[in-house]
Parts: sequence; C-alpha cells; structure tokens
Amino acid sequence: MSGILKGRAWVFGDDVDTDLIYHNKYLAETDPRNMPQYSFEYYPGKESFAREVKPGDFVVAGRNFGCGSSREHAVHCLKEAGVPVILAETCSRIYYRNAINNGYPVLFVKGISSAIRDGCIKDGDELEVELETGTIRDMTSGRSYHGDAVSDLEREIMSAGGLIPYLKSRRKEG
Amino acid sequence: MGKTVIMKIMERASGREVKVGERVWCGIDWSTARDFGGASCALQFDEITEGRGHVWNPDRIAFTFDLQAPSHSEKVSNNQKTIREFARRQGITRLFDVNHGIGQHVLLERGLVKPGDVILGTDSHMNLLGCVAAFATGVGSTDIAASWLSGTNWFRVPETMRVEVTGEFQRGVSMRDFLTMLVGGLGAGGMDFLSVEFTGDTIERSLLSERVTLCSMVTEMSGKIGLILPNGPVLDWLAERAGPEVRERAAAIAPDLDAPYTEVRRYDVSELEPMASCPDAPDNVRPVREVAGVPVDQVHIGSCTNGRFEDIAAAFEVLKLSGFKVSPGVRTIITPATREVMIQAARAGMIERFLEAGVVFTNPTCSLCTAEHYGALPSGDVGCSTTNRNFIGKVGKGSHTYLMSPMSAMAAAVRGVITDPRDIVCQGRD
Repeated sequence: MSGILKGRAWVFGDDVDTDLIYHNKYLAETDPRNMPQYSFEYYPGKESFAREVKPGDFVVAGRNFGCGSSREHAVHCLKEAGVPVILAETCSRIYYRNAINNGYPVLFVKGISSAIRDGCIKDGDELEVELETGTIRDMTSGRSYHGDAVSDLEREIMSAGGLIPYLKSRRKEG
Repeated sequence: MGKTVIMKIMERASGREVKVGERVWCGIDWSTARDFGGASCALQFDEITEGRGHVWNPDRIAFTFDLQAPSHSEKVSNNQKTIREFARRQGITRLFDVNHGIGQHVLLERGLVKPGDVILGTDSHMNLLGCVAAFATGVGSTDIAASWLSGTNWFRVPETMRVEVTGEFQRGVSMRDFLTMLVGGLGAGGMDFLSVEFTGDTIERSLLSERVTLCSMVTEMSGKIGLILPNGPVLDWLAERAGPEVRERAAAIAPDLDAPYTEVRRYDVSELEPMASCPDAPDNVRPVREVAGVPVDQVHIGSCTNGRFEDIAAAFEVLKLSGFKVSPGVRTIITPATREVMIQAARAGMIERFLEAGVVFTNPTCSLCTAEHYGALPSGDVGCSTTNRNFIGKVGKGSHTYLMSPMSAMAAAVRGVITDPRDIVCQGRD
C-alpha cells in the first residue's frame, strides 16, 4: 500500500477492548467476510459504525487499542470493512501481532490519545495518511501527527502480506 | 549483564543469545487451540496447505474445548466437529473434549507443561501458565496455523519488571485482592509488553491456585507474561505430574543476580483489604467496603483466574459461616475450572451442600467469560464475579459486573448485596 490514503476519521478512546471492537457473542463466526457487520456494536455511541463505515475510513484510537482477548475477529472485522490502517497511540500486544500477521498496518501515533481527549481530532474529520512516512494530516483541523513505522521483521512480514505468505516465501528461499 | 527468566527461556527456544528488544524465532513446545479459535486455525491450515499438509508435530499440538462446553449452538457444535475431524486426520491425539474443563488448567494437571516451555494458545489468559515459569501466550488463529506449519514463531524479547510481594494476608483477604489492587494501581496498560517476575516471601509460600490467579491477571495490565519459578510444594506437585526433570528445567531459567529490570516494585500485603474492580473496567478499583450495599442479581465463582479447588473451598467457608444459604434473590453459579477440581469438590462433600444452599453448580467450562454461554446477564442486572474482565457489556448489553475474590463473591451471594467478606469470616474473632 503506497501513496496518500484519504478518508474520514472514526474516533475512539483509550483501552478499547476487543469486546467493544467485536463482541464475544459472535466468536463462533469463522468467515472473516461476515465479521464487519458486528464491528463496534457494543461501543457506546458508535453502534452505527458497521452500517455507516465506508471503505477508506480510518479508525483513530488512544492508548492500548485492542486490549483483552486474542480474537483475530477484531482485526478481520475492520480489515474486511475496508479500514486501511489503525491509527492509535499504542496498540495491545496481541492485537498488534494479529494485525501484522494479517498484513494489516497499525501506526503508533504519538500524541493522538491526548488529541482525542482534547477534542482536537473528531469523528468525521477528513484525514490524509501516508503509510511510507507515517505522516497523518487532519485536513479538517489543519493539524499533523506522526505515526511510527514498525521494526524490520514486522515490515518484512507486512510486505509479504502477512505471516503465512512470509513463512511460505522463506521456505521457498531456504 | 545477566539474564532475566524470559531471556533464558527465549535463549533455550531460539538456540542463540538474545537481547532485549530484538525479534527472535523460537521453537514451540505446545501450540494449542480451543473450541473458540480452533476451527479457524484448522480451516486456515487446510487453506494454506490446500488440504494436503501435515502439521509439524502432532504430539506438540493440543485442543481444549472450554469456552462453550458443552456447545450451546449449532454453529459452535459445527466448529467443534471441524476440530475433531482435523485432529483425527492429523493424528493429534490430545483433544480434550467438552468433559475436561479450561484448557491451560487441563494441560497443567496432565503434566504437559514444564518450566521454560514456549506455549501458544487461542486464549489471552494462556499466560497463566507462567505460574510454573512456562512462557505461554495468547495469540490469534494465524499465529497458531503458522506454528503448525513451521514449529516456530516470532517474538520480541521483552523488558522485565520485578514485583516483590511480602507479608501475610489477613483473614478474608486473598491473592485476588492483591491482584485487583495491582491492576487498579498500574492500570490497563501498566505492564504493556512486559515480562513480570513475581518474587518475595508471599509468593514463595503461595499455593499453585494463588499463582494461577496472579499470572492470569497480568493480561489485564497488558503484560506479556507473569513468571513464578516453581518451588516447594508447587515444584513437588509439578514433578509428580510432569516428571523429575522439571527441577532442572526450573533451575536453568532462574534469573541472574545482575539481570536487567526496567522496574522493581515492592508490596506488603499485610494491611491489604478486600478489593473490587467496579463497572466497567478491571482497573476501576475500590475497596469492597466502599461499594458494600450495592444490590446484586447474580454471583459467579469460577474461570481460569479463580476456578481452582482452593477458590471453591474459600467460597464454601463463607457459605458455611452463613448457615449454608444463599440469598433467594441472587442467582449463584459456581463453575470449577476442570473435571479434577470438580471431583475434588465432590469428594470433599461440598457440591451437595452448595446445591442444598441454592447454588447452581455447573460442569467445568469458561462459562461467564462470554455472553454466549449460560449465565448471560440481562440489561440492568448487576453481577459479582471472580472472572477477569468486566468490560462494557461483556456478559450482556446494559449489565454491570464487579470483579472480586471468591470470598467476596460468596459474601454477596449470601447477603444479596455487596459485602466485605470480613463481616462474615471475622465474626466472633479478635
């Protein structure tokens, strides 16, 4: 994924747990394509996310996004909905692994948690995101943020398209 | 510079020296999946290998059916069947079906877990196996499927926090209360990405069940793993089940005196009081006495965090001191972690007394960790539970849950309102 991505922001707080992203009620689902309909159903004030999210929209969150369960559904439901990247101050360990393993980018964005708290970045803001450089521009407010790129290994896994394609290509090389 | 426990574990598993912060590929000792997540792992593996692949080692894979055991819906039944068929096809014999209990506990009781092992599972509380110094971690289905392919996976070598705990708990206070206090103090991200070594005289004296509680709740502070080196009766118990080599395995991963810690925290539990995680977050913590009097609709005692025999026995003690009767207005559910625990409770004569007192005593399962099994709460209801999470709507939209120790939970069950268990267990004492 390269170039500049453009889309609207959906803004969430700190410590968004996996039950808020994808509730345990729907864990028996195994087909990722069926998962977007349940996204954020339990997040107070964001119940309409699944109906209203458009491909290209961004999820913007504070600290420790995706804490809680190991369910990969919480990554699939956003990826399949067409959210191109998660922009969060930090992301929980398991959520981060699940995202990388699916070739799904997460940018760790310094200062975004307090920007959310202070109302500097809001639902519906038009964002431009450059994944290569980590630059995030809020065209509505005029503010800019910077997201950290991942380590070399995670970058390699990401660019292979996820952990499985990465392992397969390593096998062929080996 | 010396090495911490997690560094030594990762050195053994990767076959090379490791540095904090780097990524290493570790050999996997156990790659496990539950009824939740397991079907996705199996389907994913078949997709990758076009249905013709063989797992790297069928003797290092286990399935545990615990989240919805027995299944409550056709969809879950079908997922469980997918797993059974996959296991049969791949020659995986360790499938612990719906009659066994919570996965990590079953693996532990069966002697399959050794100090220093690297273990994956589709359960974010997999890391409770740190109670015997195994590095176990919850992962998604892609990580599991990938490890079945290669027998390895990647990890970041984490920094280590050391937590020293001293003192004796007062009557009515338990390890769960210490943990609740810790979660409240450090917050949901307080152990972010860290390995945590628990030491001190309180830990050295602690029972296996208390170590399980301690290590499982590391997840609620976003820690990677909480580790306790097995000693004393815990090490004897483990050696009996997993073999005498666990003694050497434990000694080999003891931390060096000059091991690098990012932080050392010290706690004295002798003045600690019963604590509760209030709605709707594990780190929203207050002393139980400050929320005493809140009417309660349902009480649940169980889960991977507090579902062992000693937890059930602690609840039994409170019930006994209350004349063996739970409040008629409170649905009280007790769920043992495993079949072995259930048998222990039966042999001790507890189950009959619980049933007579009005308790619903269920088969071993995760039960109230999901709204999709028995015991889901209706909107507006208040629950008290010994599970590990009370996120918004977790066990039912519009419901609210207080997390607490087994003693505090049973105190709420007998009085019908949140009650400091010391009001019951310290009666007639100095």
